[in-house]
Amino acid sequence: MLRTTLAKVLNGAQFSPKNIAVITRAASDQAAKKPEKIEVFIDDIPVKVEPGTTVLQAAAMVGVEIPRFCYHERLAVAGNCRMCLVEVEKSPKPVAACAMPVMKGWRIKTDSELTKKAREGIMEFLLVNHPLDCPICDQGGECDLQDQSMAFGSDRSRFTDIDHSGKRAVEDKDIGPLIKTIMTRCIHCTRCIRFASEVAGVDDLGTTGRGNDMQVGTYVEKMFLSELSGNVIDLCPVGALTSKPYSFTARPWEIRKIDSIDVLDAVGSNIVVSTRTGEVMRIMPRVNEEINEEWLSDKSRFSYDGLKRQRLVTPMLRDSKGELKPVDWEVALLTVAKQLKNAGPSVGAIAGGFADAEVLVAVKDLLNKLGSEALCTEHTFPLDGSGTDLRSSYLLNNKIAGAEEADFVLLIGTNPRLEAPLLNSRLRKGYVHNELEVALIGPKVDLSYKYVHLGDSPSVLEQLVNGQHQISKKLTSAKKPLIIIGSEVLERPDGGAILSAVQKLCAATNPQTENWKVLNVLHKVASQVAALDIGYTPGVDKIRELSPKILLLLGADEGSIDKSDLSKDTFIIYLGHHGDNGAAVADAILPGAAYTEKQATYVNTEGRAQQTLTAVSPPGRAREDWKIIRALSEIIGATLPYDNLNEIRNRLDEVAPHLTRYGTAENANFFKQAEALSKSVKSQIDKTPFDVKLKELQDYFMTDSISRASPTMAKCVQAVIKQKQSKY
Amino acid sequence: MSYFGIDRIFKVFQTMRSYGGIKASLYKLWRMDSLRPGILVGTDKYGNQYYENKSYFYGRNRWIEYAPKYGFDYDGSQVPAEWFGWLHYKTDLLPSQDPSRPNYKWMADHTENLSGTSEQYVPYSTTKPKIQAWFCKMTFFDGT
Amino acid sequence: MTSALAKIFSVSRSGTKVITPALNVLNQRLASSGSKDGYIYVNDTDPSMVSKDITDRAAQTIFLTELIRGMGITLAHIFKEPATINYPFEKGPLSPRFRGEHALRRYPSGEERCIACKLCEAICPAQAITIEAEERADGSRRTTRYDIDMTKCIYCGFCQEACPVDAIVEGPNFEFSTETHEELLYNKEKLLNNGDKWESEIAANIHADHLYR
Repeated sequence: MLRTTLAKVLNGAQFSPKNIAVITRAASDQAAKKPEKIEVFIDDIPVKVEPGTTVLQAAAMVGVEIPRFCYHERLAVAGNCRMCLVEVEKSPKPVAACAMPVMKGWRIKTDSELTKKAREGIMEFLLVNHPLDCPICDQGGECDLQDQSMAFGSDRSRFTDIDHSGKRAVEDKDIGPLIKTIMTRCIHCTRCIRFASEVAGVDDLGTTGRGNDMQVGTYVEKMFLSELSGNVIDLCPVGALTSKPYSFTARPWEIRKIDSIDVLDAVGSNIVVSTRTGEVMRIMPRVNEEINEEWLSDKSRFSYDGLKRQRLVTPMLRDSKGELKPVDWEVALLTVAKQLKNAGPSVGAIAGGFADAEVLVAVKDLLNKLGSEALCTEHTFPLDGSGTDLRSSYLLNNKIAGAEEADFVLLIGTNPRLEAPLLNSRLRKGYVHNELEVALIGPKVDLSYKYVHLGDSPSVLEQLVNGQHQISKKLTSAKKPLIIIGSEVLERPDGGAILSAVQKLCAATNPQTENWKVLNVLHKVASQVAALDIGYTPGVDKIRELSPKILLLLGADEGSIDKSDLSKDTFIIYLGHHGDNGAAVADAILPGAAYTEKQATYVNTEGRAQQTLTAVSPPGRAREDWKIIRALSEIIGATLPYDNLNEIRNRLDEVAPHLTRYGTAENANFFKQAEALSKSVKSQIDKTPFDVKLKELQDYFMTDSISRASPTMAKCVQAVIKQKQSKY
Repeated sequence: MSYFGIDRIFKVFQTMRSYGGIKASLYKLWRMDSLRPGILVGTDKYGNQYYENKSYFYGRNRWIEYAPKYGFDYDGSQVPAEWFGWLHYKTDLLPSQDPSRPNYKWMADHTENLSGTSEQYVPYSTTKPKIQAWFCKMTFFDGT
Repeated sequence: MTSALAKIFSVSRSGTKVITPALNVLNQRLASSGSKDGYIYVNDTDPSMVSKDITDRAAQTIFLTELIRGMGITLAHIFKEPATINYPFEKGPLSPRFRGEHALRRYPSGEERCIACKLCEAICPAQAITIEAEERADGSRRTTRYDIDMTKCIYCGFCQEACPVDAIVEGPNFEFSTETHEELLYNKEKLLNNGDKWESEIAANIHADHLYR
């Protein structure tokens, strides 16, 4: 950091004088508009709040936490659990704090006798029908009902039903392979129902019956299948909805939690990896308002059992019979080094979707030392025009959080619901709360909200560029327009022309907000942005042309290249963590670490650098990827100049400083230049309709080597197919 | 007579007679280091015999005579669970009289402490391995 | 006769001592009264050097009186009832609450009781218990691993107190010493087997204590 110039630091930290001016102006604007604040008293502490603030929010401002079950910040207010009852002076009855807006001069007593009595009463009612099965309940130890009954419940019981006649019992529901239901434990907070209909956009859950007979369920025998379904497990305050793959395997008190980053899509959701005895037990979301809020997609949450299967645990070499045989590291490294020495500069590398920035830069340095420039990523990106030289052409420039502010979104050749579920939840949030309009060019898919389908023909794009389409006016008049283009359409041979057209289209829009960026590219894999930042060439065409003697696959499993593309004697080295397509064709396998097993840098589709932390150690003889490359370099005699993580991070910093500024997304601003360069693109968009691979939910679950190895994900696919066949 | 302790000598002969003569008594004395008169209160299914003589003080008034099959390989751990409580003075009820002792069909036979024998317990893992390694399916250079 | 002999010797030995201890104490008192703390000298004092005492001591040494008195006590004990018990034929009293070798119990149906709630693992102060659990095929919560390192265990009995289903108990058995360390690393199979072997006694113990819990 010390080496960076002051200007750079200022720019990176967003404290340039320009930005400060904007912030202050915005603040003064707001102050002028806002109505007068009203004063209320929480336990005799005065607090000034805006009108419309609820009692619960006002109490939170002075640090008084009111117990609640049904209330959740990100969901609509239901007010049905009654746990948040508090006394308000001169009010005859206690009021529900979560639903009641404060009035001027109210004196709210959160600790009075009446409040305490109300809480004890509510808790007694809840517990009367709640089973006493905490020892076998997976929520035990992290259960809101347990905690709050200890804190706010009565200290003695009036429950004397020792002949087991009175407690309510409810039949469990089968709502899919991810969520286990024990409906007897349900306290009817309806958080899951509200999540399903508001955030996930799947109106599957609801209640039937009333009073003691009330049940949460799906009305008909139907599974709750959504790409965000796992979040209801976190939302459920009791053990009614628990994780099926995690069921019974661990207790919250014996778990070690490590903050990390998800790499199964390009969003880079913040996660907490729970481990126990060197095993990943579960993955949960971590709050990051700028990326995933507090949600997590199902693939990211549940595919961790793929990390325990099909693993490469020992180096392997293909013997004379053509079989892969386990060998020692020494033998493997010496053999590979010998091959590399013989090959000279005829070496190529293909980076797959899980490659971290450290190994990317290590491989690049190694190959450059050997005199080769054949460094490719598995996923293509057009190189015409400005290509990947300007970051603005390949980032989700307006950021994920920015998506919910938009008023018009044009999606081109993407299905954000399955490619980046958390971006889609932002779009849905905008649609529900912000009157966002969405239009889509591409195959008709279910986005969980209404949108205008413009067809899948590329001619629609051309019409839009020429301003002839019926929605062109909407696009140009929108105050905050967004164009999100899927990386998949840019992989087409005419990708360059498409990108150029989109850049033209973006230039034609008139965003009214400063720093609003219209052009957004949505990637599908976690490594792509870092690889392009470091200087990898997108696409494997270069490898096909060169046909190098040695090909290094960095977890490249998508089958972008096969044996027929290469000469017969090409020696393929696979460096990765799963035995998948890449390992099957390899001549030498060097077992690497998966994302939970290394401290590594990933850059998400916004260009935000984030790092994973080591949750468990790599299995067997597997090692961290960049360390393998470092060891190899020493044997070849081209020693790479870094020995530890700090040193390789310094090297990353030299290559691209934003790669080590964790948590911040470096802005890319050369849209005009990129657009100008794109004019040089002469190729035409061909007539093939836009297509996306992930159309329906069953396509979503198994997309990469980790999720393909996961039995849970396989069950999900089966469940979706089964659901399709059912009459509901 | 009792003043001079002569009755005790008679008692010794009586005890020897009850144990089946001089030879048997000497063997018993050799094996058990004591020869005491007692009432046989029961025998378990392994052949151990249980004696009681309330004239001895508490702690010595109940004893076991290990089954003859054990010879001199008798061991404290050969007392089965049914008689354990009676022998350790937890209860005065004999196993046959004790209603709190269940008799389920899954209950296992008693075994002595087998440490040092070939049947000794050797620990082993009861779980599956946590990581399943990948083994290559046969893949040849031509891609078949 | 022995007692008569012993008496003679004791009189001859302690005849003078009847007076001397009192004198000693008096001396000490006088000596100590000088100091403000008023401490009492408690260590051995030098033997008396009066010629009579010297002669007594010499006579006791020459005639081996201590040896003979000792033999007398030994001889007396041969005819007494021994105060020790003859283990393993006789065994000492045990409480129903005795905390011995661990066992995992079963329900009368033969179903194992343990529900893998891991409370015993959590409470174990020596961290001797290791549990791994998963869902059994029938959907019930069961352990796949229940290991107790008996060499770590401090036999505090917290595990059986924590158990909500009376599955883990510290049984009555204390005769489980082994020749190797590894034999004391019990696994689930061994613990269940212990339970099957000892159920009769464990059930009787729990019954004996049921009024107090």
